[in-house]
Amino acid sequence: MTPRQLRHGLAVLQQHNLLLYHVDPGAEFAFYEANAEHAYNLVRTGKILEMIDTSFGAAAKDVMQSLLLSGQTRISDLVAAYQDKIEQANKAAGLVGDDDDFGTETNGLNGDSHAAKKTGPQVKSTAHLNSIICRLVEAEMIDVVHLKTFESSHDILRTVEKEVMDKYFPAGIKGNKAKIDLQERIAEGLRKVRDESKSLKRKLEQNGSAAKRRKIMAGMGMTNGNHEENLDPALDPKQVIRINYDRCLVDLRNRRLVQFATDIFGDTTAYVYGVLLKLLTKDLPRCRPDSAMDIGEDKDDNEEKGRRSVTTDQILDSLKTSVDLSLGIGKAEQRQISSAAAEKVELYPPGKKVLIAEAEVDGEASADEDEDDTDSSEESDYDSDYKAPTTTNGVNGVNGTHGTKVKFDESAAPRERQLDRPSQLRQHLLLLSESRQHFARHCGPNEWTVDFVPLMHALRETELDSVIERTSGRQGLRLVRILRAKGKLDEKALPNVALMRKPELQQKMLEMQTAGFVHVQEVPRDLKADVKKSFFLWFCDVDRSLDRLLDTSYKTMVHCVQVLEALRQKERDVLETTKRTDVRGREKDTMRKEYYERYSRFLECERKIFAQVMRLDDLVSVLRDF
Amino acid sequence: MASTKMADDSAKLQILKDALYEEIRQHGSETRLFSQKDLLDLNIVPNNDVVLLVRVVQGLTDDKLLVGTTNHHAGLAWRWRSREEAKKYTSLPNDETVMVYSIIDEAGADGIWNRTIKNKLNMHEAVVKNCIKFLETKGYIASMKNVEHPNKKMYIKATLRPSERATGGPWFTDGELDTAFISELEGIVFEYVKSRSAYRGSQPQPAASSSRATTKLPRKGAVTADSTVARGTKRSAADISTDDTQAPARGGSAKSRHIFLPMPAGYRHYPTVAEMAKFIHDTGITNNTTLGEADIQQLVDVLTYDGLIEPVRVGRRRGYRVTRAMKQDTVPFRKRQQEREAGVGLDQPLLPGPEPLSNGLTEAPCGRCPVFELCEEGGPVSPSNCVYFLQWLDLEDLPKAVAPNVALPP
Repeated sequence: MTPRQLRHGLAVLQQHNLLLYHVDPGAEFAFYEANAEHAYNLVRTGKILEMIDTSFGAAAKDVMQSLLLSGQTRISDLVAAYQDKIEQANKAAGLVGDDDDFGTETNGLNGDSHAAKKTGPQVKSTAHLNSIICRLVEAEMIDVVHLKTFESSHDILRTVEKEVMDKYFPAGIKGNKAKIDLQERIAEGLRKVRDESKSLKRKLEQNGSAAKRRKIMAGMGMTNGNHEENLDPALDPKQVIRINYDRCLVDLRNRRLVQFATDIFGDTTAYVYGVLLKLLTKDLPRCRPDSAMDIGEDKDDNEEKGRRSVTTDQILDSLKTSVDLSLGIGKAEQRQISSAAAEKVELYPPGKKVLIAEAEVDGEASADEDEDDTDSSEESDYDSDYKAPTTTNGVNGVNGTHGTKVKFDESAAPRERQLDRPSQLRQHLLLLSESRQHFARHCGPNEWTVDFVPLMHALRETELDSVIERTSGRQGLRLVRILRAKGKLDEKALPNVALMRKPELQQKMLEMQTAGFVHVQEVPRDLKADVKKSFFLWFCDVDRSLDRLLDTSYKTMVHCVQVLEALRQKERDVLETTKRTDVRGREKDTMRKEYYERYSRFLECERKIFAQVMRLDDLVSVLRDF
Repeated sequence: MASTKMADDSAKLQILKDALYEEIRQHGSETRLFSQKDLLDLNIVPNNDVVLLVRVVQGLTDDKLLVGTTNHHAGLAWRWRSREEAKKYTSLPNDETVMVYSIIDEAGADGIWNRTIKNKLNMHEAVVKNCIKFLETKGYIASMKNVEHPNKKMYIKATLRPSERATGGPWFTDGELDTAFISELEGIVFEYVKSRSAYRGSQPQPAASSSRATTKLPRKGAVTADSTVARGTKRSAADISTDDTQAPARGGSAKSRHIFLPMPAGYRHYPTVAEMAKFIHDTGITNNTTLGEADIQQLVDVLTYDGLIEPVRVGRRRGYRVTRAMKQDTVPFRKRQQEREAGVGLDQPLLPGPEPLSNGLTEAPCGRCPVFELCEEGGPVSPSNCVYFLQWLDLEDLPKAVAPNVALPP
């Protein structure tokens, strides 16, 4: 390779954020490192585009797609590209970005029908483009590239560490207090680096119309007319922008959770849940807080964090009017419902002991809410036609008691048969709160929040369970869940609990042990460690199983791609024909019938495999990223 | 003179013995222990005469009507034995047999292992064997099976029924776990919970054709995400938020179907274990086995572990409700069974509850592949020659050339 080629290659890789580099101050050499994390993100391309399509409209998706294809792009370049396209489109040429990241071969088929259907570009003018970018930036789907974007997190950490040490601790660190101080300062420094990419957003927010525009955005998609576009400020054409995958993941997680809710409750409740999630995560920058960076964050923006809950009214305002909320929940007489149990306000997230990292942040946050509760308790039951009139929520405000029970007078007036809309909405929300998976939490009177950590844990466990059930059957699942509930169990105690025959059970356990779902521990009775006398304790380590599941998913994904590669090899001759310029785009007419059949069959397989990769990515995201 | 006195004395003793025995029987069951003081307090033996009492008790013990035991708290004490039992003892030919019989007697309803008898008595095996044979032919003892130790030969008094610990409780029949009985009962309990914890309603079924039409054609850029091939019946969030026809619509134009709906939060009538036990008892399904609440709890726990039902606490009431109510079969389990007997739906496994959830891994061949660990490029089994994938992709007819070098069982 010539140096020129090398430089070019590096530049391209860097443009797609596949390469990280680091230059020590004063050093002559730059160190390069592959950005594996980002490389994986490419798998999600399609999913992200679809998500953008549904929540921001087709035009925004189009812009995102161009951005994905060209990597990090200067705004002016993007605008220029679109200007070209718009001009071309006027001559009814092609459409933007007919390629996608993998499978250039798919172009032919889809391209045909696609181009025929839609005439004219998605993006109508540069002003329109500008407004789209503005909206995406505000939603944090797009952020700004800065110098540190290309450095690996370790390098950034080291630089920041060094800076902090030089600046605040020239004499070194002494004592615990200084250590904590150091950590906080490092976290602060890291946050500063991270926030650099939000500069564009901040600039937009300074502009007065930001809040207004966002409201329209919540109304979704293309509804805002052209007259809005001109309100958006022109963006600095020199800024380089890229896709913010962290933020996209938050939205993808919402979608996965809605799907999960659909599985458990049904469509209507899941729809309500989707709205709740959307409102809750509007300003959530990432799924998991970074342990190094977010260490002292609760101090900085306590206000904002503490208020991470949504009121019933807010949800009601965002619901589509066409959705009938009376569906999806069974009917029951008023006297069959214990509103005390249903309306129970839970101030603290469940299972706080498990969440070591989160507990501090959340605990403090809910302490704030606590006080608010007692303040606002008087006006809180605005929809008292649903609750018994004697309801006093003030009792709930007792600080520190987990799940205070309030006795309501049950001789309340009989509930109306047809509930009004807010009450129907409440029913869905209460149903979500009551679930064992902790979909939502009724964190204050008419305030709702979602504790993502335990919820995601439940979701991960559900994924694991479904894999176990599919591979080892229902009895296998039964055994695993027994172990999960009871901890370590002697081999002899298991059959009684599981109501299974001993030999069957032993076989099942061995099967699952090889699959990595359960583990065994041998405890000798005496020093001689006689195998016959030893205890055999079965147990189930969920984290270990999940790790293994993640590995399996990666491997399966690779297998899928390898299978596809093998298929490509086999159909090489056909595929090569389709690459010819005279064939491309007109496969059906130009190719021989037999060839074309092979080609379309290959395309079908390819689609199937890619769909599978996408489904696997769903699993990987749940296990790793959400 | 002396002889008449002796006869007189023994007659008196006999009267005392009978009186004491009857009095003891009035004062407690066969398991009650009587200490010396208890016996004196019965006021049968005159003047609290301890010597006389000893003679009376000795006489009763010799007749096997009283059994002497030592107790930590009370010291030496006695319990009575029925006359029929005592007769059995006295009818036995020799001491060895008596000893063997008494050991089996003491073991009670749990039964005893013949090895234990031998060890306890320190007798020769042949002797023990002879005794047991004799007792068995007499019909005094019977052999039994213990579920915990199915290979041990155990003996029990013929008049007793083996204890629950020995039989394994109601779930065992003849020392074997009665899986058919259990699964039958599971089905019934599950059906009971299902019908009482979910609301049977109808929902307008979205017209399949209209929803298909509104979903956008897969666009090229989103080929991975939009492809409907693998999505199956599951709908992504996108569908819900984009097209309203597919989201539950008001006044559906299509025909409605029956479904189960979750109950509103705070529902108070989720069935409890006590209710289920009562239901099972009232229906009389288990004609000769009585199932207590604890047994039903065991059954319910298993259903919970299976993920079919889940406990839910409303106030102080601890009930159970069905999971994933929407996905439940509205046709009762019993009816499905009948259908099955009639030959309908035999291709599907009959299990209560909905189809398990699935994800990308379980759908791909790799998720269920028996040789997954071995599979890698360059190995004997590799993705490029994977038969499972070819099956999955419906390409079986194509790869004739590939098939021979696959080292997999079909």
